[in-house]
Amino acid sequence: MGIDEATRREIEAFLFLEARLADESRYEAWVGLMADDVHYWVPNGRADYDPATRLSYINDNRTRLATRVRQLQTGLRHAQTPASRMRRTVANIEVLAVDDAAGEVTVGANQVIYEVAVQSTGELRLWPGRVTFRLRRVDGAWRIASKVVELITAGDSLPNLTFLL
Amino acid sequence: MTTNYAALIADDRVHGSLYVDTDVYAEEMDRIFTRGWVFVGHESEVPGRGDWVTRKLGREPVIMVRDRTDTVHVLANRCSHRGTALCWEAAGNARSFQCTYHAWTFGLDGRLKGVPHPGGFHGDKASLGLDRPGQVDSYRGFVFANVSGDAPPLAKHLGPGGTELIDRLCDLSPTGTIRIDGGWIGHRVASNWKMWPESDNDGYHLGWVHASMVSTTDTYYEDTVLGGEGGNKSLASDLGDGHFELDFRPSYKTELAWLGAPRAKVAGYCDAMAATYGAERAERLLWDGPPHAYIFPNLFLGEMNLAIVEPVGPGVTVHRHTAVQLDGADEAFNRRLLRQSEAAMGPAGFIVPDDAVTAERMQAGFAGSRPAWAVSGADPATRAGAGGGRAWIDLSRGLDRERTDSDGRRHGDVTDETTNRAFWRHYRHVMSGWS
Repeated sequence: MGIDEATRREIEAFLFLEARLADESRYEAWVGLMADDVHYWVPNGRADYDPATRLSYINDNRTRLATRVRQLQTGLRHAQTPASRMRRTVANIEVLAVDDAAGEVTVGANQVIYEVAVQSTGELRLWPGRVTFRLRRVDGAWRIASKVVELITAGDSLPNLTFLL
Repeated sequence: MTTNYAALIADDRVHGSLYVDTDVYAEEMDRIFTRGWVFVGHESEVPGRGDWVTRKLGREPVIMVRDRTDTVHVLANRCSHRGTALCWEAAGNARSFQCTYHAWTFGLDGRLKGVPHPGGFHGDKASLGLDRPGQVDSYRGFVFANVSGDAPPLAKHLGPGGTELIDRLCDLSPTGTIRIDGGWIGHRVASNWKMWPESDNDGYHLGWVHASMVSTTDTYYEDTVLGGEGGNKSLASDLGDGHFELDFRPSYKTELAWLGAPRAKVAGYCDAMAATYGAERAERLLWDGPPHAYIFPNLFLGEMNLAIVEPVGPGVTVHRHTAVQLDGADEAFNRRLLRQSEAAMGPAGFIVPDDAVTAERMQAGFAGSRPAWAVSGADPATRAGAGGGRAWIDLSRGLDRERTDSDGRRHGDVTDETTNRAFWRHYRHVMSGWS
């Protein structure tokens, strides 16, 4: 793949930043990492279908993602009041494709989120899955053009999923 | 000894123990989910021959399948030999069902077709088909089953109210048929199942539970519910037979308000409606929109969503939803409905997660609830403590201003607990064995 070691480190650092902002429910900063044409998708099963044609847990374009974040920021989103205590690990990071013409790279990683549902049951919930990012250089900085989270539990009945995945 | 339901459910209050007690739960599985009619699924979920989906009817795992003659069967998901579940995914297609244990094979109609090593088999094949509910019937594609087989006919269960609700939804399709093919999403909640018929049809909570949604998005709930007492003309209605509705129709200020899109954006759909129903009736349908209602015991008609309420245990429920798709409407229109469903429903929706966390907080509140007679050791037959004691919840809101129409339907202000009382009145009737 046409990507040098320095760029690879830069991409890793970007993913770790994204993960930390999500863990800490820093909504404004997190959404600031998104490209204007972002697609944020959590499919109901594997990401092997056209999201236009079926229901997904999350299938956000920029507008809907902005609404999602605005709702969380009201402080009245009971399902995230208080915000879940979370930490996630992002591992097995691989650059899967490079598109020099578009200035984009596709990066895959495994992710496990540990969430304590402090809003009600207080239980520890695990959210393991595969994350695939399409990242783009915009004015010298990386931005997320697409983030797809394939939970290994997708398709099963899931509890509230109202934090940033 | 069975629970004394008449002592735990009054017209204006119910006892918290009904949400947590394991005996109550077992009796519900019997009286409501075995001896009564339960919604199974929609025929369009199995469009082709051999298509199947799995469901739970209370505790009974079933398969809904379309056979080679286009008959839709509901069969026990349990091999008649040693009890192994035959299908363990949500949906699929099969030529027959073969058990993975000893390879007994069943037809799509449940008939036992083959047994390996037949020399040692002396059973009666004809009587060893898959179990099936005693009654299966459908109305406009909505399939219902009664496991025990001794309930009165489906038409009686649905009554005029349930029938009308399904009609009003299906009539929004230019062919009179809805389609369920967008996939189901299960939402697991640590609450009793009865919080869902309550909260799905509670017109009082919107401004608080859903304050974050209301303050960030423009919705038609502004005009239909949020005005509060006297601020709109919507109704909370008891349609009888355990079915009930938040009726927004009197509050809509424009046609298609329920869709959140003007006619210009969905002209193809509007034209198709007019072609089917004539201009006048189509106009009425486009104003009125879909019902926001509940069909006892497990089907929520959530406007352009369906949800099945699946009890898992006294304190665990799956609220499983899908988007309604309208047969005869164009693809862009139906995709709009999918996107609206994603916005509202499920674990990541803008609405239902806040109901879920509220239901879980209610369940936590009910944890210690026991009827007064259980605490004091008094005889339940004397209804000791029925008039007082701990852990009662109040459902009296609007009881004194309900009016009854000429069809015997009760109506209250949209913020009144008329819908909740409708559920509990029928529940008490069924659970007391009076049906």
